[in-house]
Amino acid sequence: MSTLPGLRRVEHVMGMPVVADLRDEDLGEDVLEEVFDWLRWVDATFSTYREDSEISRLNRGELGLAGARPEVREVLARCEELREETDGFFDARAASPDLLDPSGFVKGWAVDRAAAILEAAGARNYALSAGGDMRLRGRAAPAWCWRVGIQHPLLRDAVAKVIETRDLAVATSGAYARGPHVIDPHSRRPPSGILSVTVTGPDLGAADAYATAAFAMGGGRAPHWTARLRGYEALLVLADGRVLSTPGFPASSSAASPNVRPGTGVP
Amino acid sequence: MRRALTATVAAAALAVPAGNAAATALAQSKPKAKPKRRVVTVTKRVAGSEVYAGRWGPLRVTLVVKRITTIVGAHRTVKRTIVGLDVPVYPDHTDRSVFINQQALPLLEQEALQAHYSPNVDLISGATDTSMAFVESLQSALLKARSI
Repeated sequence: MSTLPGLRRVEHVMGMPVVADLRDEDLGEDVLEEVFDWLRWVDATFSTYREDSEISRLNRGELGLAGARPEVREVLARCEELREETDGFFDARAASPDLLDPSGFVKGWAVDRAAAILEAAGARNYALSAGGDMRLRGRAAPAWCWRVGIQHPLLRDAVAKVIETRDLAVATSGAYARGPHVIDPHSRRPPSGILSVTVTGPDLGAADAYATAAFAMGGGRAPHWTARLRGYEALLVLADGRVLSTPGFPASSSAASPNVRPGTGVP
Repeated sequence: MRRALTATVAAAALAVPAGNAAATALAQSKPKAKPKRRVVTVTKRVAGSEVYAGRWGPLRVTLVVKRITTIVGAHRTVKRTIVGLDVPVYPDHTDRSVFINQQALPLLEQEALQAHYSPNVDLISGATDTSMAFVESLQSALLKARSI
């Protein structure tokens, strides 16, 4: 039995499991403490489930935007930019015009910042994943890149695709995991014709927001919209069993696995 | 479903050896003469006509269509699936977003949804699951699998 170099930790933060998998040699445990302390701070500040978070206080009118922390103002400003970029399909007020819920962006943004903590500590080969959205950097081992499976939207124990990458953020939005939780902010209904959207690119906050927006658009509009993304690539699984991807979507060099069962799940 | 049934029968046979007789009887009671079943699969490449896309040059879309004909007795079922899409004559322009804006044609690659079991991967990207048990267990199993 050989053991991998580096450090690994899975912790439940921000309401989801967060995986930190560092593959560099000689990194101290301190850096993991710093990463998870940061994520716990994000949760305390942004959670809509905590009465005393700044977002909850903003929503109750106890706190004005001017009095909020700079990180809160930064996140809300980015949410507004992303709302405009996505024709309103990513909306921190999607649930109700009176309630702010930036959690769709906060998760990716928090992981982007956590990656910066790792970089500052000298980490160059790592994966950070929060509830299925992730940032990958460097290599999993000297001989191989990070291999990421994209969850099959209909079969829990299968993946629909495998991608190989070195420096990338990967975010997936879909309705399969906890029922329809994404709604089209325009029609106020769950999207139709689409099972999942995966977006890859340099920034996890943006990739996550784009995936949520494209999923909310549904199978009719999402292909056209994702084809126009700049600097980001997308893979869409449509309800009719078609998988559409932008020409630059990352591939796997060894796509043919002996365990492939083509066609499963296609109606 | 079928797999679960077989497993149950096998377990019963193991637990009670006398049950073998019952299992044999069950197998013999199945209808013997099944209507003959024939499956014909044809995969064809279908090219669209060449269309001149303004200043972006000519464009042609090719589809790969798989036709599966299942014949059982006099009954015939035909199922067609698009298994590939290709644009062999590609507009000579690097700015695909400009092209798409003008033509409203997403130049997306297409394939059929596949299921890969026990893939050799480090992590899984998927929608957030609040039950978490599955993702958490899978992620930790994946982490472990790579240290063996």
